[in-house]
Amino acid sequence: MDDIDAMFSDLLGEMDLLTQSLGQETVPPASLSSTNKETNYSMSYTDLNDSLYELEDTDLDALMADLVADLNATELKLAADMQGLKQPSPPPPDLPPPPQGLSPRPTSSPVSPASPAISTSSNVSTPTSSTTSPLPPPPPQTAKPTREEIEAQMKADKIKLALEKLKEAKVKKLVVKVLMNDGSAKTLMVDERQSVREVLDNLFEKTHCDCNVDWSLCETNPELQLERTFEDHENLVEPLLAWTRDSENKVLFQERGEKYEVFKNPQNFYLWKKDKKSLKDMKDQDKELLIQENFCGTSIIVPDLEGVMHLKDDGKKSWKPKLFQLRASGMYYVPKGKTKSSRDLVCFVQFDNVNVYYGKDFKGKYKAPTDCCFFLKHPQIQKESQYIKYLCCDDENSMNLWVTGIRIAKYGKSLYENYKTAERKAAVGSAWTNCSTPSSSNPSTPSPTIRAKSPSQANGHVPTPPPGPVTKDFGNVPPPPPPPPPPPMANFLPPPPPEPVRPSPPPLARKSSSKPALPQRHLPTNFPPPPPAMGGLPPPPLGPPMDDASEAPPDFLPPPPRSTGFGSLPPPPMNSLPPPPPPMSMDLPPPPPDPGCLPPPPPMFTAAGAPPPPPPPPPPAAPRAPVRPSGSVRKVPPAPPKRTTPSQGGAGGGGDFMSELMLAMNKKR
Amino acid sequence: MSAWDLLVTVEDLGSDAPPVTLSVASDLHVGGVILKLVEKTQIKRDWSDHALWWEQKQRWLLRTAWTLEKYGIHADARLVFMPQHKPLRLGLPNGNTLRLRACFSSSVFQTVMGVCRMLNIRHPEEHSFLRPVEEKKKKKDKDSAEEIYDLTEVPLSSASRPCLYNGMPAHFADSPQMEAIYKMLSVTQPPPAPEVITKQFRPASVVDKAHINGRWLDSSRCLMQQGIQENDRVWLRFKYFASYDIDPKYDVVRLTQLYEQARWAILLEDIDCTEEEMMLFGALQYHISKVSESEPQALSSSAAMDDLESALQSLEVKMEGESSSVSEMLENMTAPELNDYLKIFRPKRLTLKGYKQYWFKFQDTSISYFKSKEESIGEPIQQINLKGCEVAPDVNVTAQKFLIRLLIPAPEGMNEVYLRCENEQQYAQWMAGCRLASKGKSLADSSFQSEIQSIRSFLAMQKTSSGSHGNANANDESINPHSLVSPRYHKKYKAKQLTPRILDAYQNVAQLSLTDAVMRFLQIWQALPDFGLSYVVVRFKGSRKDEVLGIAPNRLIRIDLAVGDVVKTWRYNNMKQWNVNWDIRQVAIEFEGNINIAFACVTADCKIVHEFIGGYIFMSTRSRSKSDTLNEELFHKLTGGHEAL
Repeated sequence: MDDIDAMFSDLLGEMDLLTQSLGQETVPPASLSSTNKETNYSMSYTDLNDSLYELEDTDLDALMADLVADLNATELKLAADMQGLKQPSPPPPDLPPPPQGLSPRPTSSPVSPASPAISTSSNVSTPTSSTTSPLPPPPPQTAKPTREEIEAQMKADKIKLALEKLKEAKVKKLVVKVLMNDGSAKTLMVDERQSVREVLDNLFEKTHCDCNVDWSLCETNPELQLERTFEDHENLVEPLLAWTRDSENKVLFQERGEKYEVFKNPQNFYLWKKDKKSLKDMKDQDKELLIQENFCGTSIIVPDLEGVMHLKDDGKKSWKPKLFQLRASGMYYVPKGKTKSSRDLVCFVQFDNVNVYYGKDFKGKYKAPTDCCFFLKHPQIQKESQYIKYLCCDDENSMNLWVTGIRIAKYGKSLYENYKTAERKAAVGSAWTNCSTPSSSNPSTPSPTIRAKSPSQANGHVPTPPPGPVTKDFGNVPPPPPPPPPPPMANFLPPPPPEPVRPSPPPLARKSSSKPALPQRHLPTNFPPPPPAMGGLPPPPLGPPMDDASEAPPDFLPPPPRSTGFGSLPPPPMNSLPPPPPPMSMDLPPPPPDPGCLPPPPPMFTAAGAPPPPPPPPPPAAPRAPVRPSGSVRKVPPAPPKRTTPSQGGAGGGGDFMSELMLAMNKKR
Repeated sequence: MSAWDLLVTVEDLGSDAPPVTLSVASDLHVGGVILKLVEKTQIKRDWSDHALWWEQKQRWLLRTAWTLEKYGIHADARLVFMPQHKPLRLGLPNGNTLRLRACFSSSVFQTVMGVCRMLNIRHPEEHSFLRPVEEKKKKKDKDSAEEIYDLTEVPLSSASRPCLYNGMPAHFADSPQMEAIYKMLSVTQPPPAPEVITKQFRPASVVDKAHINGRWLDSSRCLMQQGIQENDRVWLRFKYFASYDIDPKYDVVRLTQLYEQARWAILLEDIDCTEEEMMLFGALQYHISKVSESEPQALSSSAAMDDLESALQSLEVKMEGESSSVSEMLENMTAPELNDYLKIFRPKRLTLKGYKQYWFKFQDTSISYFKSKEESIGEPIQQINLKGCEVAPDVNVTAQKFLIRLLIPAPEGMNEVYLRCENEQQYAQWMAGCRLASKGKSLADSSFQSEIQSIRSFLAMQKTSSGSHGNANANDESINPHSLVSPRYHKKYKAKQLTPRILDAYQNVAQLSLTDAVMRFLQIWQALPDFGLSYVVVRFKGSRKDEVLGIAPNRLIRIDLAVGDVVKTWRYNNMKQWNVNWDIRQVAIEFEGNINIAFACVTADCKIVHEFIGGYIFMSTRSRSKSDTLNEELFHKLTGGHEAL
């Protein structure tokens, strides 16, 4: 729980920052300053994640079983959901108080409880919402008697959607603390579908660094004294999940020149045998040719590395020299008394299942001949083990040669593509630091498909909604809170426009459309609501919605599903409602993460349950359009369930939500 | 001007017929000679492809407007009147022999272009003709029985691009026989019998490999000038390993033949690789032969057909999608499981206890086990997530041993777990599950069934190879693993030892489509350190011993003959110029930074080396000139030497 608290406080802090940034957008000057701090994320994901995740799964399974049970039942459920959708609107009114800050968060609430790793379960119910979004759902109910077949078909579609949503709902999220060079830390919410590139982009936004290609995320493991730069195409969550709970591992955000050195000076890797002087004067044209030859052909050519390195004996502190060779298929060594011909080589390791790490201070730890050590291990191994292969080079240069060579052999073309992407980012980033923000958001499913921009989504969600309430509760981030409350209100409607607008320059189409369109789009697509909820996070939401809209109708559907989920939830919300009001600091934090998700649904609801929405809006966003308020209201209902979950322990939130959903469904039956 | 007698042998009259005597004057042009000759033979036929060949000078008299005087022909000249296109036996990279009409009068470069056009191979500049390695006399009888695919009836066309019909040149659509030939060209051959591999010539050293490169024909001169006669045999091979612009859609034959050449290079150890690489090559060959049997059309269909097919396919999918009921959908969505009694053994722990039986449940990517089926509702004794684990088979069909060895990563290291299955069926399922789970895929993954299939077919392979030697059933499943690896491994491993090793490598490639598998094979081949190196034994100026020059697509390397070490590397992009002194047969090259090298060629004519270097430089210019047409002039300029100028 302490962890959770800590997490929450972190989240709150970040939310505050975000809210500030929002404020800036509305009032440009102010917010930027807060974001300027460079972030180091030290990751900490809580055990809660695991537990939550499990809960979710089981719940999901149960839900699945129900859905499968029989179609009729599902039909009934759907009908019930529809009703529920309308019903939910009323509950929101009760919640209004939290909404102001929370309104966005509540949406996220189901997931939010487990701040560290949240699985978005809310989506499950969404299928119904999807139907609602198009507006067909309501008619089907009325029409049921007359056109049963059509209804059946529609229900079938809904079920399909629901099932798809179920899959989506299993998405893991981690809250990651990233350490910056200056010792400060930033906390990010990372979705398991996000690549390191996306997270980096997110950090660029937050830190306003120069976005050059050297910026990297690195993991350190003090126990193994290792250090590794994550590759941009890797998913960040997966390696972090391998960390043990008690680990002191950290994630660092720093510039690592060696990351793409091979593309800046390929001659040092591919022509390393030549004399240093001629390499230094290499013409750019020749460098380009080297890259073309080795990375742009039908196959990737691995640097022709061969040399003596010291290999640490299993379990002993002795190091033995061996003649190693790097090939595309793996690392080999020449056995004693044999020639270097390929057929005599003995395979030392193939790279499918291992990563390469730099070892720190192995001279002291393992009595290595030099401190230029690297090693290979399965990413899941976190402690000393005989399965780790330690190697020691004569000097740093050859160590970098080997580590880079191994990376080329392991990752091949991805490495070059990563570099190209990073280069583009650097070019754009220097021009528009803000741009990235808009793209990043996107709690909803669309984000995964988005190339590199979505990364921030998680952060966006979390920070924006929570800031207002969180700050108040914790008081950790006093300064930010004040602005948030007001902004949040405004955020609902305005927030999207402000942030998106500024960032928009790079993604021209997106941004431009997103800013003004946000509201508009929301209304038509149902997405609009989410952005408002995001308020603080506007940029991220915008990105996703945009994508969805642009991509295809299916995308739209996803958002609705969520709303439907809420719709189905409505009953639970009632139960949960009491909890929401109490929502102490604990409660608040959880909601924020999900808010992103929830917001979208609200719009949907607003459309369906127009009457109910009015009441909720008054509290927070009253002045603004009634429709949007309704959205907020909607959000509110979901929030309660989340809160209940948080109470359990934060982590369980998702599961609770699901169970409540189940309960609601059963009732309707 | 006085008239004199010119003797001309007309080939079409038969080899015994005496030469025809013509009375000519020195100012008569060659066209006039031909006209007289044709009149004199009194044979009415199409003579348009015929031309005069001057035997002593080894040259064609193709300029009909030139006078005899200009050609320097006198009464002692022995001329032969014969067709320029004659049948040639062409050995293909896949080992088959084609008989086709090739041009004997134009440069080999153009002849190759013509042949490639006929066979629908793009980028003919990467190919050339190689004089075949003489085969021992003993095998002669066998050779004569060899099937020859006859293409001599194909009309000669001058179109630069053959018109395509069904994705193949129209002339292949004429008859079923022709279609069969096209299939031979465009579909990979089944793995050869191990004996066939063993019997073929294998270069034993880098010097052997260097000798092969002495056999390339001169691209600047015609076949007749190089002693190639009608019905002689030459090999068509990829000479320059700079495959440009490969597109599986348009390069069906090219890709297939490139794969075949690569495969044979691996099998005959023309290029060295490690054991692990050999196993992967073996696995890919196995996979490719399996898949090409089941979907032979995939590679050979035309672009248009592809579009149509994909359209049909998507239509099918649509229909399926629409017709599939929700219940089916749900069925698909409910996660499949495996449940069974298996035996487990942990080598590290409880070594004494041996295998113990439990009730196992395979769900998603995890295995859980319980004391018994009845207790499987409760908490499992242990749950093992297989994601990221290593899976290795330990199978002996005859001994009925079906073991799955798992190496499961954990924070503390790797845990070894063995699962013992009762029978083939059970093994195939659980093994497939473990494989998928190790890659993070669940049993619901669409590849689950095909994974099971491939495991079973591999088991079958082991059965046949370890069982009776009666290969009576020509079942495709009975591929001898020795057909997939070089003879070195025939000695090192028995077939049944080889099977699991290949299977091991196979798991990473089993899901590839035919084209992807072929491409993967080529990629791995191209990533070998020695790929693309053509060797020539040379004597460097100022050096007293023979050394080896390796010619690669982007560089030259100097190799110590005795040790095999690379002594020095020069890249073409640093090259300022190169010259050949044809009199002393020496190649001199100047690189940036005042680096000069010169060498004489020992195992190949210096024209061959010159052509290699110029050829690779030509290949590297292709991407710059975006035009589709081949800059033949540039090629000759770079490769021709003084003779061409």
